[in-house]
Amino acid sequence: MVSSPASTNRSQSATPHPSGGTSRPNVRVQTSGLESEGSGAEEDGGGDDEDRKDNETAGSRRTSTRLAAKAESVRNLAQKSAPVVPPTTTKRASKKTNAPASSAGRTSPSSPGGTPGPLSDPNNLSKLADVAAKSAKGKKGIPTRSAPTTVTARDLLSSIDATGSADVNDILLTDPLDNLVGYKQLEDWIDGGLDMYRHEFRPLLFPIFCHFYLELVQQGFKDSAISFFDTHAPALRERHAAELHELSTLLLPQHVSSSPLANRFRSEKYVVRMSRSGFSLLVGWLTEGTGGEPTGSGEGLYGSREGAGRRARMTVLTVVNGRLKFDVTMSNTSSVSSRTWEENTGLIGSLIPVASNLAAAKTVNGKLSTYDPNAFNAQQGDLKLGPAPLSDSLREETERVLKEEPDESGHVADNSAHTNGNGDVKERERDGKDEEVKPFGETPSTTSSGLIAPTTADLLPQPPTFRSVDVKREVEKVRDARKRIKLDPSMLFADSGRETNGFVHPGISALSSRFPASALPSICAYTFHDALDGVNCSKFSEDSSLLATGFSESYVRLWSLKKEKLKGLRSDFNIGQVSDPTSLKKIREKHGSSTRKLVGHSGPVFALSFDPIGGTAAPPKYLLSASADHTTRLWSLETMTNVVAYRGHSNPVWDVQWSPMGTYFATASRDRTARLWSSERMNALRVFAGHVSDVDCVQFHPNSLYLATGSSDTTCRLWDVQRGVCMRVFIGHQGPITAIASSPDGRYFASASTDLSINLWDLSSGRRIKSMTGHTAPINTLTFSACTTMLISGSADWTVRCWDVKSPGGPKAKLQRPGGRVEEGVLPDGALDEKDDGKEQTVDLLATFPTKRTPIINVQVTPRNLCLVSGPYLPPDPR
Amino acid sequence: MNSKPTPRPGIYKADSIIDVADSLGITNLSEEVANALASDVEYRLHQVIEEASRFTRHSRRTIMTTSDVDQAFKTLNIEPVYGHSAHTPLSFRRVQPPAGPPIYVLEDEEVDFETVLKEDPIPVPRSVRYTAHWLAIEGIQPLIPENPPPEVPAIADQPANSALVTPPPTQNGSTSSAPADSTARQVARPPSRLVSSLVPSAEERKKTAALTSLRADAGLAPVLPYITRWVGEGVVNTLRREGLEGDEMDLDRRSLDIYLDVLSALLENERLFVEPYLHQFLPPILSILLTSTLFIPQPLAPTPSDPSPSHLRTHSSSVLARLLLQHSATYPSLASRVTKTLLAALVEPGRMLGTREGALRGLISVGREAVKRGLLQASGGKIVSDDMDRAREMGMDTRGVEQALMVHPATDGVPLHPLNDMDDEDRAAADALSSGLGNTLASTIGQDATWAKSLARVISDVSLPS
Repeated sequence: MVSSPASTNRSQSATPHPSGGTSRPNVRVQTSGLESEGSGAEEDGGGDDEDRKDNETAGSRRTSTRLAAKAESVRNLAQKSAPVVPPTTTKRASKKTNAPASSAGRTSPSSPGGTPGPLSDPNNLSKLADVAAKSAKGKKGIPTRSAPTTVTARDLLSSIDATGSADVNDILLTDPLDNLVGYKQLEDWIDGGLDMYRHEFRPLLFPIFCHFYLELVQQGFKDSAISFFDTHAPALRERHAAELHELSTLLLPQHVSSSPLANRFRSEKYVVRMSRSGFSLLVGWLTEGTGGEPTGSGEGLYGSREGAGRRARMTVLTVVNGRLKFDVTMSNTSSVSSRTWEENTGLIGSLIPVASNLAAAKTVNGKLSTYDPNAFNAQQGDLKLGPAPLSDSLREETERVLKEEPDESGHVADNSAHTNGNGDVKERERDGKDEEVKPFGETPSTTSSGLIAPTTADLLPQPPTFRSVDVKREVEKVRDARKRIKLDPSMLFADSGRETNGFVHPGISALSSRFPASALPSICAYTFHDALDGVNCSKFSEDSSLLATGFSESYVRLWSLKKEKLKGLRSDFNIGQVSDPTSLKKIREKHGSSTRKLVGHSGPVFALSFDPIGGTAAPPKYLLSASADHTTRLWSLETMTNVVAYRGHSNPVWDVQWSPMGTYFATASRDRTARLWSSERMNALRVFAGHVSDVDCVQFHPNSLYLATGSSDTTCRLWDVQRGVCMRVFIGHQGPITAIASSPDGRYFASASTDLSINLWDLSSGRRIKSMTGHTAPINTLTFSACTTMLISGSADWTVRCWDVKSPGGPKAKLQRPGGRVEEGVLPDGALDEKDDGKEQTVDLLATFPTKRTPIINVQVTPRNLCLVSGPYLPPDPR
Repeated sequence: MNSKPTPRPGIYKADSIIDVADSLGITNLSEEVANALASDVEYRLHQVIEEASRFTRHSRRTIMTTSDVDQAFKTLNIEPVYGHSAHTPLSFRRVQPPAGPPIYVLEDEEVDFETVLKEDPIPVPRSVRYTAHWLAIEGIQPLIPENPPPEVPAIADQPANSALVTPPPTQNGSTSSAPADSTARQVARPPSRLVSSLVPSAEERKKTAALTSLRADAGLAPVLPYITRWVGEGVVNTLRREGLEGDEMDLDRRSLDIYLDVLSALLENERLFVEPYLHQFLPPILSILLTSTLFIPQPLAPTPSDPSPSHLRTHSSSVLARLLLQHSATYPSLASRVTKTLLAALVEPGRMLGTREGALRGLISVGREAVKRGLLQASGGKIVSDDMDRAREMGMDTRGVEQALMVHPATDGVPLHPLNDMDDEDRAAADALSSGLGNTLASTIGQDATWAKSLARVISDVSLPS
């Protein structure tokens, strides 16, 4: 099968055109306009076996030229000459023959003359035997299955040569040496080609490398696999370190079958993006061996173009054919950065959920959604990203309280005017936002309109009546919005006079002024001392009165930031005697300190979450903690005891978060699911399954309709909380997700990954807005400022960084780099460029605040835009 | 990520399997089995490491600990290996078997129960606590001890410097350029409040506050180049002003004094990294020290607050002494360079007495060895002595030089015993002194017998070999 495009094409045209959509049956072209899915050979069979079968039945394709070509290649193989086979491999191959061949038990291990290559491979021999047997059925006189041990490879060859079966070609082409040569040829071709195509072709190397490596391992050529890896992996390390590492652990065929990554490579298609012209060049090379190759190298090093060289190319073609999927774009090669070539590419098949609507799944904009996250996102329909509605009674009550406020009369007037004008349920919310938006010349409608507002029916079920704490919270929300310090990064560039010289201690005066504005936030850092690696997570309560810290020693420590005493209840009281606040006070503990240990977990505590019901108006009453002991525990901060342990996950729970409305919460676990719980029920209400690796973090959308998850499979997803289905998938990171955040205005979503980049996503379209880089160690935590103008990240590189959400971002201009850093004699080729893209700071990095030696594990922003960060101080020499 | 080595397969060798098998008493392990086992062991190891790395990541750490591995074992349903903790690193011992490569074995220490019991109980570690501070106020990091000092801009190019500067959080060496940009902007503008409080006319309180800030503030690094330049230019301008009236002179002497205070304060500041600026510190100090006139007091009596020229020279020499004391260890060439300059000033013909005085004071602050070289080897003593004679004849004041030479012995309060002519020993000393230093100096020094004798000893030490 694999040789068929070569021969057929030769008869058609010298310079093939990929987008013709007519005559490229075996190379799966996915062009944006012309979809050639229809033809029979185009069927996505999945495995090699089916492909082979395919070929057998497609007899019409077999032309006489093709048969001749095959016969020739078989002959070439049989008389393989020395220069093609390096001497070391001969030794290796013959050594290999012994053990596994006997286990196959069907053929004699003695291959005459120690013919290296495919004939010494036991698998191939057995396959050959099969084929021979098959052909023998038609032609008598050849040894049959009953006496397989007598068959020698040469016998088989001669017999098959006569029949000219297509299978032989397949089998012979699995010679591992061809893989090595083929890969080298491809690399040479890419490097020897035009610079403008290099960005485009480089991503192609990785999947082919992986498949070749897996193939070598699968066939038991451990040593060649290792040397192949050693030779070629360093060039790919820059982008694919994690995958390469996983591949490097696979050395036995059993490992290949048990490794999830290898299985994904074997079962999914690797998506590669390419321009139209680039793709036609590639096809040209694959079939003709032309274009970009260094002169003479094809002849001298790899034998004749028609012989080994072509066969090596065939191995590449096999992979390209069966395992790659091309996303041919219309854009111009030179106009696209190297990063864009890799966006939404890779093994994304399994990362994209299966669409619920199969008819829609087939084609959206002419693209199969199984390989296009954008198509998947598009067909999921619009999201209701507007702020959550309040019940009418609660809203009225809140307004009444606000109106009674003495010193805010002006705003109260505003309030009532709005309310009378239209009965919009989000009125108050918008009012709060009016305050912040107006001075910047934006119309309030840009904040709240343009997003579909959910109705009460869309929300998770809530208690029908509101409590006084709800009113307090909502009132406080409005106050917070009014007193919010505006963070406006644009001031940074407009007003350079604000910069102080370092001696003037910038006063806190701005904090106390009524409508303060600042370019950058004020950050208060809480540093843990004497923690000895033990601090896993920490969280501030929303009203900033409590700080909770989860330790690897399985406990949670609670601090009162107001230095109040944290008192629980005595354990020796009679419930019948408690009737009123005074009697409740009586059973409180007599002594207390401003810190308290909560003991209950039996494994490291990985995440904490304070209940949001009190908002900024009242201290939280409950705390959730997630731990490696598979449980999530609910702690009452009244009694300071563990109230419930939620069991359901069968693996460590990595993250937990309350929904913005309280009552419900979500957990993320190593068992590849995220779950939705109600604090009142013991079992999970929803299971969000679909990630192909650990779910590392969860984050509710501010209106609590959606839940975002970040996973070790390098993707993030957005789930509909009510229905439990995936609404959006965000593909673009190169490593596990370490932190996610959703913006308070409901539009954006940010994710940080071990690839040290922070991606900003547009929720409604599911597309990446930009990628921000600058951190030099894993990013532990992310948060948006309360006005969504800024993103603040905390990292293990001991810094807190602020990022501009609104600016377009992008890498710094090359000129700005300090001179002398480019080494002499190093050409600014693709690899160097890529490095720059990944590690250089992007221009939207507003500020970096280093700490002394404190990796930041938590960053939070209060509703008034004060930033709180925390982290453990690492003594300089821990050992 | 860049620093990560490329993963490579086949690290776990079959030999290790055979060694382990040997240790378990299996001697007939075939090559193939060992090979296959090695590959499998490697795979399993990677599985455990991969799993453990998840726990490391979720613990928000960058270094994997044994507890992570334990958790990984638990998760993979493998029996954990007990007895290892992150705080007691394992020690391996190298064993060379009769044949083959060396083997590393775990050191299995024998613990004597009695001694353990007798040992002091291990102190309970301090419990975790937290502190709060402002990491930034409206985007500007307050210059408090809790925050790291800002990065030194631009000058940190030299590798030696950048190694000493507060290291950037990670080892990849790319210090962020954003802070450098902002500090560059700050440097361009003078720290006006600081400078304004450091002029002679400023209030004493303000001056003290400014100097205290210079002495203790960690955040000065970005403005250090500016201050250095300010001092340098200020000193040059002050000294260049000639033929001014008395009032002005007082003013200038006072401002010179302040410049010296500033430099001294900067040197005192432990949080500053001043090494790159030392070469800029030296010229002002030496200029003040060696300037010939320094406005030798006119008959009009100086105000009490006005520092005398010799006070200035004393002050600058003490600053010089501090500088050398702090930094000559790291820059061995510093002292010798300074000495060379001072020697030139001491012995070059045609210099004024003031320069000689300054040179002497400077040499004294460099150290005993420098004084010896200056006065004796370079015969500076004679030159100075001659100069003094000449000056006396011209009716000029030579007290400065005499004082300069008195600085060294520092015999406060102890009454001086002049050399006794009747004593042989004393006479020998006096002779040695006058031969080495000239008569005038010798007689001056002769006022203090102890000092004279010690100097004489030194002189004889020097002159004997030659």
